[in-house]
Amino acid sequence: MSNSNQLHENLVQIVDEAGLLPEDQLSRYAIDDINPQAVVLPRSTHEIQEVLSYAADSALSVIPAGGGTKLGVGNPPDKVDLVLSTSRLDQVLEYEPGDLTVTVEAGIRLAALQAKLAEHGQYLPLDPPYADRCTIGGITATNASGPSRFRYGSARDRVLGMRVVQSSGTVIKSGGKVVKNVAGYDLNKLYLGSFGTLGVITEVSLKLQPLPEIERTILLTFNDVSETVNVASEISGSQLLPTSLNLFVNGVPLTDSPEPCLLIGLDGPSETVEWQIDAVKTVAQQNGAIGVELYEGQRQQELQGAMCAFPQVGAGTPTVVCRANLRMTDVSGFINTALEANESAPWRMRATGLMGSGVVYLVFSEFSNGDVPVEHTAEAIANLREAATNVGGNLIVESAPTALKRQIDVWGSVGRSFELMKSIKTKLDPIGLLNIGRFVGGI
Amino acid sequence: MKENDPLISELANIVGSEHVITDPTSLSVYECDGATVFKALPDVVVFPTTPQEISAIVKLANKHNVPFVARGAGTGLSGGMLTVNGGIIIALNRMNRILEIDIANQQAVVEPGVVNLWLTQAVQDDGYYYAPDPSSQQACSIGGNIAENSGGPHTLKYGVTSNHVLGLEVVLTDGEIVEFGGAVEETPGYDIRGVMIGSEGTFGIVTKAVVRLLRKPEGYQTLLGVFETIDDASNVVSSIIAQGIIPAALEMMDHFVIKAVEEAFHWGFPLDAGAVLIVELDGIKAGMQGQAEQITEIFNENNCRETRYAKDEEDRQQIWKSRKSAFGSFGRLAPNYITQDGVVPRTQLPKVLRRIAEISEKYDIPIANVFHAGDGNIHPIVLFDERDEDQCERVEAVNMEILRACAEAGGTITGEHGIGVEKMDYMPLIFSPEDLAVMATVKDIFNPSGLCNPGKIFPTAESYAKLGL
Ligand SMILES: Cc1cc2nc3c(=O)[nH]c(=O)nc-3n(C[C@H](O)[C@H](O)[C@H](O)COP(=O)(O)OP(=O)(O)OC[C@H]3O[C@@H](n4cnc5c(N)ncnc54)[C@H](O)[C@@H]3O)c2cc1C
Repeated sequence: MSNSNQLHENLVQIVDEAGLLPEDQLSRYAIDDINPQAVVLPRSTHEIQEVLSYAADSALSVIPAGGGTKLGVGNPPDKVDLVLSTSRLDQVLEYEPGDLTVTVEAGIRLAALQAKLAEHGQYLPLDPPYADRCTIGGITATNASGPSRFRYGSARDRVLGMRVVQSSGTVIKSGGKVVKNVAGYDLNKLYLGSFGTLGVITEVSLKLQPLPEIERTILLTFNDVSETVNVASEISGSQLLPTSLNLFVNGVPLTDSPEPCLLIGLDGPSETVEWQIDAVKTVAQQNGAIGVELYEGQRQQELQGAMCAFPQVGAGTPTVVCRANLRMTDVSGFINTALEANESAPWRMRATGLMGSGVVYLVFSEFSNGDVPVEHTAEAIANLREAATNVGGNLIVESAPTALKRQIDVWGSVGRSFELMKSIKTKLDPIGLLNIGRFVGGI
Repeated sequence: MKENDPLISELANIVGSEHVITDPTSLSVYECDGATVFKALPDVVVFPTTPQEISAIVKLANKHNVPFVARGAGTGLSGGMLTVNGGIIIALNRMNRILEIDIANQQAVVEPGVVNLWLTQAVQDDGYYYAPDPSSQQACSIGGNIAENSGGPHTLKYGVTSNHVLGLEVVLTDGEIVEFGGAVEETPGYDIRGVMIGSEGTFGIVTKAVVRLLRKPEGYQTLLGVFETIDDASNVVSSIIAQGIIPAALEMMDHFVIKAVEEAFHWGFPLDAGAVLIVELDGIKAGMQGQAEQITEIFNENNCRETRYAKDEEDRQQIWKSRKSAFGSFGRLAPNYITQDGVVPRTQLPKVLRRIAEISEKYDIPIANVFHAGDGNIHPIVLFDERDEDQCERVEAVNMEILRACAEAGGTITGEHGIGVEKMDYMPLIFSPEDLAVMATVKDIFNPSGLCNPGKIFPTAESYAKLGL
């Protein structure tokens, strides 16, 4: 019997045939062009424990996954043995609308959860990319967020507690289910954004929000980036409370306008939103906006969705996505630097800046000879990273072809805190089972 | 430790002898925090002014194998700053400068000894404020807030300290000075800043913090409702949330507190009322009146006897003063009190409050309630006389039963005051030995020698016995 048959047989004993992805679909979970030996889809915590224990005994590495939408984030792995997806653990475990909290299994998709919550007039105010496919476990493990983080924060601000299977198989709980809790160390923060390197998240408790009465989006168009930025800072420094405040250059989702523009999301009671719309219009007109458009209904939803999907990578088209974290006042300078540097480059660079939170996404696509020129893009990224770190920020490459990733460190340096990070990894995953070598500094 | 101990002179070399306290009378000020039932005398207190001095003190402590504990303002309510095995208190009162205010980026850089309220005062003319507002904000330090991950009345809408801290500079337990996070919202790698916050001073000493500033809301609407019973008021709390309104604050006082506050300060509360609710809306003025009316309606549906609206800012401050002054009035109720702190799911409030009334009756120990109702964060005030040994024993039983009730309702044993020495014994009510083992592992990473603030947070074998586990 071949090794792969043996592996298959052993795993079937733990998770049944239904818990193993058919061999011809393994490429869906390929990481940096390496197909996993198997993709396991356990249905229970117990099965997860068994898989981990089997992997540990057989010296196989395990990469935890949810919907697989952000699986590619990280440095290229040396090998990909097992991908362990929680996507079949997809139940709502506890939901009492009056508590404005919910506890779910990690594999539930965001869209499915939102549908359940909407029945009670509530929602989880997180709008990360791939909203239709991503799971709550994945959102938690990557600390994902989207444009509305300006008002509602990221996963970090929403997660109250979780259950995690450690590589030893032990199940532990961090935090709790209530909105305030300072008992013991806040281990939620360790697992949030740990990209599957510390444990398999199986359960998450979250803080919810009532659905707003109405939602609107305003699109403001300007002649240049600096005008756009001025209006953005005017708004973020005012008493207006937008949910999102996104700057776009070189391409706005769903519209063909080449001019820089500002997309402003508003939600709340209609009276409050209407008042804000007027206020935004006034600021825009006083500051040189050449276009003011108000979106509502279906079109608003589409636009908002496209805005969230901005950093997504289309299938089959080579794309490089970088994310910079900056201070708000450094956003426009950084975007201008990026624009200038990439003006005559053999690709198209689009940029969005989440003005309220200092996050900038740069998306490189339409490479002129159809493929990513590795040396050239690596150099461009190095320059951008330097521009970000020079002003106290950082730059992460969220998505890139494998050949390019091998030329760069997708995370960049983490400085002197690395020693502590390394001990956290070695102490919490002492057998080195989980997602090895892909996180910061090769953790 | 003797006064001529070489450690003392070495400490004096670092900070100057005038910034070292060793005489017993002066030391006694540092023997407890706001939870005065727990006491432990430090051997020495030092007052450094720079991270480098703290680093030198920490290295010295390591060399002499002496425990060291950071202290902010000493307003903690769980005995967090107690030197349970003696040792050095590193008092941060002199590190009280606001280093930078960056309005354009809506952030500030502060030293740990800065008093919470000072920061808001420093930026209010620019139209900004620092959101976490513990009721002790006139005294407590931001370093202490970070260590305890403190909350306050406005936590309901704005979150706790952890949601407002971007970066930290820390002297680690070996004396190394490292920064975590920074002026930007996210940095790659594990969120060590996040783990540091709420670690109750056991992972090192925070020497600097980058914190978020928020734009002051355009307007406020503050309502005060008087109710016949606690049950009515609790129902109001869940109804408001169920109708999709998230007020900025939603606070409750029961009849005990109303009476004490009224007798002390004469706010004009009816002495026979069962409960008072304070609800504050903030944000954009347009639309706020509509929400206030919705709340008034909910009040009326729940037998509200009287509703007051703050007419202006002065009125609003008066209402908040009546809430925040509550602690100052408990002295009238009993010689001593313990401020309990637990959290329950909001819908469990009526049930848990009834349970607390039963506990009070069962042990014949009066319990008053003043708390962050919107968050389900209860603060039963356990009233007693510490000279009466029998009462003290009953108080211990009362504490345990209250916390058990919170845990059983799906809640937790502390929402903002921390575990410290006060609640170590109760940790097994909510965490399994496996959960606690991970916490211990993480503690070992940050504090391998155990010299930094020992004797806190973790239950002992005795704790399990006490709980009958
Ligand atoms: C009347 C009253 C009302 C209160 N209301 C609230 C409330 O509404 N919400 C709330 O959350 N709390 C409240 N508290 C509790 C208390 O004020 C908070 O816990 C506060 O954060 C403690 O700050 P402090 O500076 O007094 O800290 P301290 O009591 O001096 O220390 C608390 C802990 O922090 C550690 N510590 C202090 N500074 C540092 C540092 N720089 N680095 C590392 N560790 C450090 C200490 O070692 C100790 O473990 C109240 C207390 C009182 C007396």
